Amino acid sequence: MRKVEKAVADKYFKIRTTIVAVCLLIGFAVSFGVAIFAEPIHQSGVTIMGMPAHYYMGAQGSVVTFVILLFANAIISDRVDKKFGIDEKQNEQISGGASDH
Amino acid sequence: MDQQSLVSLLLILLTFALYIWISIYNRAKKTSDFYVASRGIPPFWNGMAIGGDWMSAASFIGMAGTVMMLGYDGLAYIMGWTGGYLLLTFLLAPQLRKYGRFTVPEFIGDRFDSNKARLIGAIATIIISFTYIIGQLSGSGVVIGRLLNIPSAWGVMIGVFIIAIYATLGGMKGVTWTQVAQYLILITAYIIPIVFMSLQFFGNPLPWLTYGNVVNELGAIDRELGLSEYFAPFDQGSQAQFLALLFTLMVGTASLPHVIVRFYTVTTMKAARWSGAWALLFIALLYLSAPAYAAFARFVIMNEVVGQPLDELPAWTEPWINTGLLEFADTAGDGTVSWEELYIDEDIVVMATPEIANLGLFVVGLVAAGAMAAALSTAGGLLITISSSFAHDIYYRLLRPDASDAKRLLAGRIAIFAATIAAGVIALDPPGVITQIIAWAFALAGGTFFPVLFLGVWWKRMNAQGAIAGMLGGLIATLSYIFLAMSGVQLFGIADTGAGVFGVIVNVILVIVVSLMTPPPSQKLQEEVHDLRYPEQMTYKDGEVWMNDGSDK
Repeated sequence: MRKVEKAVADKYFKIRTTIVAVCLLIGFAVSFGVAIFAEPIHQSGVTIMGMPAHYYMGAQGSVVTFVILLFANAIISDRVDKKFGIDEKQNEQISGGASDH
Repeated sequence: MDQQSLVSLLLILLTFALYIWISIYNRAKKTSDFYVASRGIPPFWNGMAIGGDWMSAASFIGMAGTVMMLGYDGLAYIMGWTGGYLLLTFLLAPQLRKYGRFTVPEFIGDRFDSNKARLIGAIATIIISFTYIIGQLSGSGVVIGRLLNIPSAWGVMIGVFIIAIYATLGGMKGVTWTQVAQYLILITAYIIPIVFMSLQFFGNPLPWLTYGNVVNELGAIDRELGLSEYFAPFDQGSQAQFLALLFTLMVGTASLPHVIVRFYTVTTMKAARWSGAWALLFIALLYLSAPAYAAFARFVIMNEVVGQPLDELPAWTEPWINTGLLEFADTAGDGTVSWEELYIDEDIVVMATPEIANLGLFVVGLVAAGAMAAALSTAGGLLITISSSFAHDIYYRLLRPDASDAKRLLAGRIAIFAATIAAGVIALDPPGVITQIIAWAFALAGGTFFPVLFLGVWWKRMNAQGAIAGMLGGLIATLSYIFLAMSGVQLFGIADTGAGVFGVIVNVILVIVVSLMTPPPSQKLQEEVHDLRYPEQMTYKDGEVWMNDGSDK
């Protein structure tokens, strides 16, 4: 066991929270955001991949964005963990010990 | 029995044999096997199991038809049921995993150190999961019944029997691996028919790239017929209802106990993040395909059925007309079929597509086996959740804390068996329309659990009084709005399916106000919540963070 500086621990939490906030914001923009402006988008006649843009975002665009966000989060978080010297093997060992609650 | 029924039956029986073989092979030997599969499932496979767990008979059979009938308004289901995984993976799953319990009620009970909160959580879990499972069982009954031309009650009993065997034997470990197999079967069955449709229409095997043109053409056909365009927004309901439904489905998805518990089966927070990503990828394959089904099916109906003389309809329509799922009322008396005179049951779209595209006996049978896989995999996950609420939260944590491992395992098995039988009996005569019952389950799950779980892991000042007030208030607000909306009293044009919005708002307000008016939780509980900010290797103790690097223990 060694002590982690408060500033370092806080920085870790802040980075993780920022990732969460940014990803959720993008996620809401492509789903709720587009649905709020569906009527003006429909009237504008913009199309993506052959269909009206608002329909495309509901049927494909939002879902694909969600998937990308989740993978981006997993990859970036792994990098952050590595930067802070977190060893996944140790994590497994520690949480393994807590498995029989 | 005709040739088609025989092939379908054979394929369904083969898949059943596979599921039972998997659960015998992965028999549960101790309680952690039974509830959380010993926490040893790799994220990729857990993601696939979540996919099987999540996609139910309603997703498989019903969703494409819903999108076909509702047009743009049906897309709330597509975005809501996938977007929920964002909330779940970002806000709840890793933290709940680090807290390291067996069930959702157990987290609530231990986080707030309150057996009252535990009991409310357990009862709400049982109500939500039970509502949901009735839909699955009657869904599987409809599939078997329609394919084999037997009463759907027999279908329900066959489904119940199969699930009871494998869930009781294998527990979570068996269910995890059967869900993986069920996912693979259901996704193959779902995608093959539209790949062939896309080939027949465009000579391109990727329906996701080609159906856009069909959507545009559907709009043109609708304009010609004087209907409102297929993709016109908010044609079937208000915009407020669309947004409320979207919100309800998202928070409901993030707080369904049988989904959350799947994140307890992996090793670490990192594994929980990866599970969420893989899960949504596997789920998206089906949800991206549903609008393609909808577009192709509507296109075929518009071209081959609408405007045709009644005696010259294509051959595939005949069996569906005979079962009453496709009906024509020639109200105009002109001998031809128009869109307004057509009644199409939403459930026939996926089942009829292989017949429309002339794909032959094997593919029709495969779709049937896929629909069964979707119903059974969800039912399996739900049964584990109901059983753990009884046997773990109520029996072990509240009534008999000194029960031995063997006794707890036996209690879990008895609970699962009893729950299957009880759900089967109710499913023989379901108390309402299946899709509606399922929509209520989402509203109830979101309204009762989401704010309590979310604030519970992110806000250490939240206490037991706040949690209890929030859960009860959210539950009551959701239920009352469902009843009010059903009897015609609606706020902002929001229907009963969007009731989760009101449940969540009431819940959040109650949690915050009541928590702040009552004493803060103990130092130990607050530290445990603070600890959830960091990965397993970092622990928070007495205001300091420690890194466990294995140097001394």
